[in-house]
Amino acid sequence: MQPVIQFSDVTKIYPLRAGDVTALDHISFEVERGEFIAVMGPSGSGKSTLLNLMGCLDTPTSGDIFIGGSRVRDMSDDQLTDLRRDRIGFIFQYFNLFPLLNVIENVNFPLMLKSGTVVDPKKALEVLRAVQLEEELYTHTSLELSGGQQQRVAIARALINNPDILLCDEPTGNLDSRTGKSIMQLMTDLNKKGSTIIVITHDPMVAEYTKRTIRIEDGRIAS
Amino acid sequence: MSTIFWEISKRNIRLHLLRSSLAMLGIVIGVVAIAAMGILGSSMVLMVSDTLSSVGDSVIVTPYSGGGGNPMGPSDGGPSGGSSGTMTSMKLTDQDFQKIKRIAAPNVAIPVLQTAEHMRVGVGSEDIVATMYGLPPEDVPGLLILSAGGYNSGESGCLVGSTFADDHNINVGSRISIGINGEKGTLRVTGIIEERGMSFDVSTDNAVVVTKDWFETTYDRNDEYDQVVVKVKSGDTADVKTAIENQFNRNPRQKTVSVTDSNELLATIYETFGTITTFVTAIGGISMIVAGVSIFNIMMMSVTERIKEIGIMRSIGTRKYGVMRMFLYEAAIIGVVGSVIGGVLSLVAGYAMSAFMLQTTKYLFTVSSMIPVVEGILFGIVVCLACGFYPAWQAANLNPIDALRHE
Repeated sequence: MQPVIQFSDVTKIYPLRAGDVTALDHISFEVERGEFIAVMGPSGSGKSTLLNLMGCLDTPTSGDIFIGGSRVRDMSDDQLTDLRRDRIGFIFQYFNLFPLLNVIENVNFPLMLKSGTVVDPKKALEVLRAVQLEEELYTHTSLELSGGQQQRVAIARALINNPDILLCDEPTGNLDSRTGKSIMQLMTDLNKKGSTIIVITHDPMVAEYTKRTIRIEDGRIAS
Repeated sequence: MSTIFWEISKRNIRLHLLRSSLAMLGIVIGVVAIAAMGILGSSMVLMVSDTLSSVGDSVIVTPYSGGGGNPMGPSDGGPSGGSSGTMTSMKLTDQDFQKIKRIAAPNVAIPVLQTAEHMRVGVGSEDIVATMYGLPPEDVPGLLILSAGGYNSGESGCLVGSTFADDHNINVGSRISIGINGEKGTLRVTGIIEERGMSFDVSTDNAVVVTKDWFETTYDRNDEYDQVVVKVKSGDTADVKTAIENQFNRNPRQKTVSVTDSNELLATIYETFGTITTFVTAIGGISMIVAGVSIFNIMMMSVTERIKEIGIMRSIGTRKYGVMRMFLYEAAIIGVVGSVIGGVLSLVAGYAMSAFMLQTTKYLFTVSSMIPVVEGILFGIVVCLACGFYPAWQAANLNPIDALRHE
């Protein structure tokens, strides 16, 4: 079976005035469908760079990245954008919902990008139920929700297009431990239903929920 | 227009209502300045056009005076008449007239005699000085339209201009004593000439028109004229003008006549008014540029405030074009709403300016007066879109990673 993500000898160098900084140094790994992976490492180890490359927000200096078998290097900006919209779900530490939109509109946003018009909220309601958000909150804006509620909305938005991969950047970093645990439990449930999830974290509690851990140190995979 | 970007743009304007309203106000002022100036200019042109249209299609031939002809009529020898001294050489002879008549045929050529004269209207009235024209009676109906009375057929009758009649309480049947102490006789008013406004041939509004014979007898003028007016009904005035000039002014160094084409003069006047209108509209356009700078500033602020939002949008699959559209919608909403409000208010401003400066508003709701309103509205929208383009382009081209990191 084809890996969902494949990194092949990937190097990322940031050219700076003070000198080039190698954020990732000849990294190779594969992520199979249905995996639940934690990427851990100290600050400055290259976790965020790895997330940006996996999310097609950045391109490698050398080496190849394949998402669902497609080589990222060959894609135009629009193709990469469409790939992010259709095959990758992003979950951020600070939730990153749109304050001008209500819960259903936020969740439907990727669908509306695809269709170019207003879409039936039926699927959004289905996903919101799946992330266990109370129905009375569906017409609220993000500013009227707690951190945990916002993160559930963000997860619902990430799931709306049935992505191949869920990329999570410190998903519990801005939540209290109880809410963080419930969010990780939700992710575990989603993984059991078949979602491929990659979590960038330095929280060992979060890593405990995952099935595999990739440790990065100085831009290299340590284990 | 129900895309999510349209919705976000509307809501963002609502969220920053004061800021957006101030930007709109700039556009409103810009559109009002441009459109109201345009309305005023257009109304001015229409008013002048109304006044001058009756004198179109005329070619006026006057003796060459060295520095070009005087289309408003040649000067003459003053109240006592003008057939002596150096002015004698400034006349057209009957031979000249016959030659012009032949060249202009089948159009009618009318010889015009002119002087300024003392006169009194009624017993005990003050002595006044007014212009007198002497015209062949048979040509008068083709040249002048009466508002009251009839054309004079006898030598003792005269016609008077409408302003002259109003100013001196003259009616049909009134008598006018000509000359100091009436030494040149008394004329009976047979008709009042309809107002002609400014004209290039004979300006009759403030004048008295007598028969050619009476004029020649009274002022001892034989076969010499101050000007010849050709009423061009057949062909082009420019062709008639050229034909006369070719015959009379063969040697450019020894010109004998000045020939004026009234249509050419009208075109020059319209062009001058057009230039004035463009100039004042351009001054109004400065306020639109200021408004555009304000829109640019606001759009840049909007982009700066929403860098993180742009980063989120790009990261979850919004194309550059989508981000650009969102900001252009915002500029378009401000532009369309501001411009339409400005267009409506410009009608009010145009009405007030026309009423105050032209003393009439009858030219306000004409097609040519409405064109500046439409132009102002379109210009307002275009300025908004143009000023919103760069911020929108900048937003669309932000690096998603940098935008996501932005706090």
